[in-house]
Amino acid sequence: MGNGTVASFQLFGLTFSVANLVSGAIVFLLAIIFVIATTRHITMRPSKGQNVIEWLIDFTNGVLKGNLPANEVRGYGLWGFTLFIFIFLSNQLGLFFNLMINGKAIVRSPTSDPVVTLTMSLMTVVFANYSSIRRWGTKGYLTSFVKPFWFFFPINIFEELSSFLTLGLRIFGIIYSGEVLLEMIWQLAESHGILTMALSLPIEMIWQGFSAFLGAIQAYVFIMLSSVYIGRKLQEED
Amino acid sequence: MLLHLVVARTLYNGDTIFYALSFILLMWIVKIFAWKPVTKMMQDRSNKISNDIDNAEKSRKDAAAMAEERQAALAGSRVEAQTIVKDAKENGQQQREQIVTQAQTDAQSLKDKAQKDIAQEREDALASARNDVADLSVEIASKLLQRELKADDQKALIDSYIEGLGEQHES
Repeated sequence: MGNGTVASFQLFGLTFSVANLVSGAIVFLLAIIFVIATTRHITMRPSKGQNVIEWLIDFTNGVLKGNLPANEVRGYGLWGFTLFIFIFLSNQLGLFFNLMINGKAIVRSPTSDPVVTLTMSLMTVVFANYSSIRRWGTKGYLTSFVKPFWFFFPINIFEELSSFLTLGLRIFGIIYSGEVLLEMIWQLAESHGILTMALSLPIEMIWQGFSAFLGAIQAYVFIMLSSVYIGRKLQEED
Repeated sequence: MLLHLVVARTLYNGDTIFYALSFILLMWIVKIFAWKPVTKMMQDRSNKISNDIDNAEKSRKDAAAMAEERQAALAGSRVEAQTIVKDAKENGQQQREQIVTQAQTDAQSLKDKAQKDIAQEREDALASARNDVADLSVEIASKLLQRELKADDQKALIDSYIEGLGEQHES
């Protein structure tokens, strides 16, 4: 959490954070449980779980449809859907399930760490550039950086970088601040015994609900902006 | 820039790889367990719905065509019935006229035959009468010739003749 430190270890010359690994694994498992549970009995007349997943697929496809060229939507549906449930679960995890051992965070929202959110946005940027190469070929991809003419080259490069940063840091800021505030409300609650406990309980509940709402909105915003970004790559003016 | 952001922490460069890999793995698992079957089912459903709509449209058209056909057949049979009745009436009329004509012809021919018979009979009667007259004349003539030889006798003859006539009248 905000003030808590994070345990870390070194492996293969890379640094891993325990909290991110555990939280990421939990999100990963939750996502798998969700998709398997909702698709156990797939029928023509959808039941409860199938309705939920079909609604979600329709929802993410709808977001993609608004931003990508119509003939490309099919190829990006899986990506949009997976991204949405992954980020959505990541945003919500820390709100309902927070674990600290010896002052070190073990479970929290993975998206409250900029490394994770920037990883996600980096993946979007890489995926977008890959899509552009696949769509226009290597030559077309490279020349898209000097359009409308050579002077725009640094601007285009900077645009890539700013997309990467804004996409990752927006969601980090919102989820991180949400968790920091939850932590502060908790500190307030335990500062003066039962009185502040009772006082802060409704505040905590309200803020938790609001954060859950924000987490859902941010997951939506993330795939929306990612698809806008990829759509712009695919619809480059010739 | 990244370093600046996480300056208070360690840079968990391993996490980046971990998340990227787990995301790709998750995408693969979602594809196998959820994405493929669900999108296939959604596609199937939309196909089925569109087929059902087409079929409904088709059967509606069929029903309309059948109703129209039945209506036409009904109208046709009505017309046919009318024709049959009309034909029967005409036939009856014709037959009646034929019978009446036949009867008239028969009556006429019977009448003609009767008239012919009557005329024939009259002719026969006249012929026989004429024969009788001739015979009578011949007889009278022969009687006259017999009496002419004598004048006296002539007178007696005339008398007898007159007498005879008178007798004839009386009788």
